[in-house]
Formats: sequence, structure tokens, C-alpha cells
Amino acid sequence: MLQQRLIAPFRVLERAIGPTLRSTQSIPRSSPSIIPRSIISASAPAFSNRLFPLSQVRHASHASQGTANRHSRDPAGKRLGAKRSGGEYVVPGCIIFRQRGTKWFPGENCAMGRDHTIYATEAGYVRYYLNPELHSERKYIGVCFEKDGKLPTPRNAPSRRKLNRVAVPRIETVPAPIAGQSDLVASIEDGVKVSSVEAVNAESGSQLRPGYMYREANWQIGRAAEKAGITAKQYSRNNRWLAWRKRKARAERAAQMKSLKNKKKASKGKGGR
Amino acid sequence: MAHCERAAKPLLQCLQKSYTKGLPGLQVQATRAFQTTAIAREEAQTETKSQPFHKSPDPALVSSPRLERRLLRQGISPIGSRRRRAALETSPNIPFEQLPYQCFQEARNILQADREEKLKDIVTIREKIARLEAVPTEQAGGLQVKNSKLVAMNLHLDHLKVLADVNDPLVKKKFEDGQGDMSKPIYRYLADKKWREYRRKILVQRITQMKVIPDVLPHCDPVVDTKLYFGRTATQPGEFVNSRVSATTPKLDVQLFERGEKLVTIAVVDSDIPNVEKDGFDYRTHYLAVNVPISATSTKVDLSKLSSESQVVLPWMAPTAQKGSPYHRLSVFIMEQKDAKPLNVADIKAKETDRSKTLRTLQARYHLKAIGAHLFRTQWDETMEEVMRENGYSDVDMELRRKRVEPLPYKRRNPSTFR
Repeated sequence: MLQQRLIAPFRVLERAIGPTLRSTQSIPRSSPSIIPRSIISASAPAFSNRLFPLSQVRHASHASQGTANRHSRDPAGKRLGAKRSGGEYVVPGCIIFRQRGTKWFPGENCAMGRDHTIYATEAGYVRYYLNPELHSERKYIGVCFEKDGKLPTPRNAPSRRKLNRVAVPRIETVPAPIAGQSDLVASIEDGVKVSSVEAVNAESGSQLRPGYMYREANWQIGRAAEKAGITAKQYSRNNRWLAWRKRKARAERAAQMKSLKNKKKASKGKGGR
Repeated sequence: MAHCERAAKPLLQCLQKSYTKGLPGLQVQATRAFQTTAIAREEAQTETKSQPFHKSPDPALVSSPRLERRLLRQGISPIGSRRRRAALETSPNIPFEQLPYQCFQEARNILQADREEKLKDIVTIREKIARLEAVPTEQAGGLQVKNSKLVAMNLHLDHLKVLADVNDPLVKKKFEDGQGDMSKPIYRYLADKKWREYRRKILVQRITQMKVIPDVLPHCDPVVDTKLYFGRTATQPGEFVNSRVSATTPKLDVQLFERGEKLVTIAVVDSDIPNVEKDGFDYRTHYLAVNVPISATSTKVDLSKLSSESQVVLPWMAPTAQKGSPYHRLSVFIMEQKDAKPLNVADIKAKETDRSKTLRTLQARYHLKAIGAHLFRTQWDETMEEVMRENGYSDVDMELRRKRVEPLPYKRRNPSTFR
């Protein structure tokens, strides 16, 4: 009721100003009514602002903040596409095509990277081709060994491969028996280095170690059990008896710890009260 | 009345009824079997009463893994699945004909009737074939027409032979126990089906993925089941075999699923011999034997025991792989000779002295057709050096290293667009 009464004078106003506004085209609107519903309920100064847009100012500081969602509308180019054209010479690892998804598939002597990039695995000349025998739809990129070779090769032909290796005299890599050697490198006065002490000496016993200590090398300490002939039992998955005993012991220990904890708590609680 | 007794009441009634009208001897057995245990087992127990079961386990009834292992160590493999053996242990083992289940017996009757029908069909088609063979070629409409008719009828006959037995539970049981007679078409059919279900698929996948098929031969459709043994261990298709192991001549088990005997050529080819001068790969034939007879019943072929005069053309050569070379694929091909005719060994021996010839030329020259394949691989290992020295390979002391690839020169491309 109240709104109806409020709108009535506005309607009159609109009828009076409407034609002039339309001729100026200052407010481009598809709807015939220039007064939106939101404005009807809005206060008077806002309404006057809408009516006279010529007085509105968009300051430079405001504009420089940019438009909303601009990044989704035109993001930076990702530099996708062919990096090597057909017939160009490539070496192994040379990127031929960058793409999103598999627009092209790796053909002969090519492979596909983590982001579907096609790269060469052999040196040769790039070919872009279709292989209807393999797949009716897919486009392939391959590398051909000859400059004027053709791809794809027939399905029943033996595959063409290159060795890409050279023959060199074989070097025996005999795993040398690990000689005793000191494990620390530190210079001590009068120019003797721990590491320069001969291996035989290092094994013989305690040496002067950094920190001015006469002791055995760490690796020797680590082998004490071995020297003493103490051997741990080989772990066997199937030894359920041992497993049961271990489990039992662990449970007992846990129970003991728990009881101790409870005792502590109980004593604390008592003390608090 | 206890539950079990109440449940068994109809069974007992049925047995008593049949006892009055059926054969007395059989029914005595059946009732006994129902009340106590199996007759077969009783007999077995009376024979070996002195020994308990765990001392001498029965391969048809053993179900605990420990006893199974003991049997296997003795060289006896347990029969059927463990689940079945466990079930048999507690079952009364009544024969099918005497099982007191009405629906089961009705179903058996239907199957029996179907079998009778199939047998009748077999007789009629045999008569038809005989009649057609008696007709002279001109009246039958030419040689080609007659032959095609005969072939079609024979195929139908084989199919009927399979259909007659395919629903028989005893046949199925025998096949599953590995006691099937491969001279009978039904067992050949079942074995072929089983092979095609898994093992053939694996084989075809291996030989195509590892590119044996276009590299060694242009095409191969395996129809015989081939197993390869070094010593006593079977090799899976495509497995890496230790060089010391593969230095011995392997054995083959070639299972044919067709009737009749075939003469085959067996070739073992290495398609990855590195050739540094050529910057590529060569072939080497490691073994070649011709005129090897195989049939559905005689499947074992020991490559070392084939006669060196009449069969072996190129004896076994230990497969090797030079250090640093990519793995070597050694493919075994079983190739059928045309019309099962023997080849002239003396001629072939004179001609095929070169081991580096490809299998394609051999195939074309002697009209061979690949019917079976197998594959194993070899690579550099600890024993390879010894094996190579023993067999006199010259390239033991050389190692293959990757060639350095020269990078492309940096080229500024179209500088006007760079800003």
C-alpha cells in the first residue's frame, strides 16, 4: 500500500523525463522502465545519482584496481604447440610438441612426458603422420632415421633400431675387500692425519682420535659383536612361537608402564587434593 | 528324534524302497556306503591297516599342505584340487548312478538322452561321408566342390564328437585330474580351451609387446602349447634366464591339439646381437632342427637328444649377452613343415651353415608355417663371462658404452618476434 503510493509520483516523473533520457542514451537499458525495483525501495540521493549519470566520476585509483575475473577471461599464453616442424633434425630428449592432453601421440622413436609433451628418443628427422593400422583416429609424431624416410613403417616389417653404443675395453669392477681404514678425517698436530694412518694400524687397536682420545674406530666398535661371535637369530616369518613370545613380552611391558602411569596420576591427584 | 536323523529319514526311505526293487548287490553297497564310509576307502584301509594315513597319504584324499609336500617329495602329485580332496575325505563316495537325489538323476537322464542323440548323429554323418566318398568326382560337381563338402562334413563330425562328451561329469573330472587321454577329441578340446583361456594370452602378449613378432617373423598364430624347460624348471615366456642355466640344451614340451602327427622345424633365434660397425642389430640362430615328429600324445622334445644326423642342423649354442648390450630376446619357434613331408637334411646342412641368417629366409625357402612360439631373455650376469669364454666368444673383453649425443647448436629462432 505504502509502496504503491510512493511509486505513483515517480511514474509521473518518468513519463515527463523519459523521452529526453532515451534520446541522450546515457543509460543503456533493455527494459522499458528506467527505475529498477531496488531503487524504488532505496533512498532518495541514490535515486538522483542514477538519474543523472553525467555527474558520476570513476577516479584513476578506482579503475586501476582492475576488473573482476579478468584472469579467467584472458590468462597468459602457455606457449604450447609445435617446437619442431616436420623434417627437422632432432636429438634424443629434444622436445617436439607441447600440448594439453594428447592432441598428438608419440609414434616411432618418440615418447610422451609427464605433461603429455612429445620428445624424441633417437636422433633423426621429425614426421607428423597418421597410422590407420594402429589406430583410426590418432595423430602421431615420430622420428625417422633417414632424411627422406617415411613413417609409419609397415606393420609386419622388422622394427628399425639403432645400437647407439661404442665398444670399449671392459674394466673389471671387482668389489675390493673392504680394508680396515679409519673413518675420520681430522688433522692433528705435527701434520699426521687420522685418515693417513695405514689400514693395518687402524685395525690394530686404539688410535688418537679427534678430541685427543685414544680409542678404537667407530666401525670397529660396531663390529664388536661380530668379533665376539655373538649372532642374532635370523628373523623368520614363520616362527610364530617367537612372535607370540615377543608379542606377549610387549603386552606385559605395556601393561607395566600403564600401571606405573596410573600410580603416578593417582599420587598426583592425591597430592592436589 | 535328533535333527540329523529327521533330515536323513527321506533318504533312508528312498534307499529302502530301491533296495526292494533294484539290484541287490549294488544296493547293499550303497546302503553300507550311506551308513558308514566309502567302500573304496575301506578297502584301502584294510590293505594298509598297519600304516596310519599320515605315514602313507593317499594322493586322491590328502588335503593338508604338509602331507601334500611329502607326497610331492616322493614324486607323486596330489589329484585334483585341495578343496575336492578335502570333500572326498569325508564323503561316502557313492557312484553317480546310485546317488539318491531325484532331480539329479533326472538331469543325468536328460544328459544321457542328449548323448545318445549325438551318437546317432555321428553315425549318420559318417554314413554320409562314406556315401560322398563313393560318388565319382564328376557326379559330385568337381573336385573342389567335393573336397569342400568333405572338409565341412568332417569338421561337423569332429564337433559332434566333442558335443557327445562335453557334458559328462566323469570326463570333466578326469580332465581336471590330469588323467585325460589326449588321443580322444574331447580331452584335446578341453585342453585347448584351457590353454587359450590364459597361457596362450600371456604368450601372445609377450611376443607382441617385446616385438618378437615383427622382428623375427612377420606373423605367428600359436596353435600348439609350448613349454620350455632348462633342467627340470619350466621357463615362463619372456623370463630372464641365467647364462649358466641356459648354456645347457633345453627341453621342449609341445602339446598339439589336433589329430595326427606333424613334422616340425624347431628354431631358436637371438634377434639382438649388437653390431657396432652397422650401429644396429644382427640375428643369430642358436639352434635349428628339422623333421621333429610331434603329436597330441607324444609331446616331449629333448633338443639335446634329437639325432645329429637326421634332425639337428645347427646344434645348441649358449646364448650370451655382451656387457652393456640391451637384453637379448631368444625366441623359440615351432614351425610346421608343408604337408608333413620330411625335409632333406643333408641339403639343409650344406646350405644352412651360416648362423646369422634370418628366420624369414628360412621360412620362405622351406615353406614353413609358425604354429608355436616361446620366448626367454638373457642379459649380462655374473656367470656370463665364464660362459662366453667356454664357448669361445671373442667379445668378452669388450664392453658397450652409450655414445655421447651431440646437443643441437643453439639457434636464435626468428629474433624479430622476441622483445
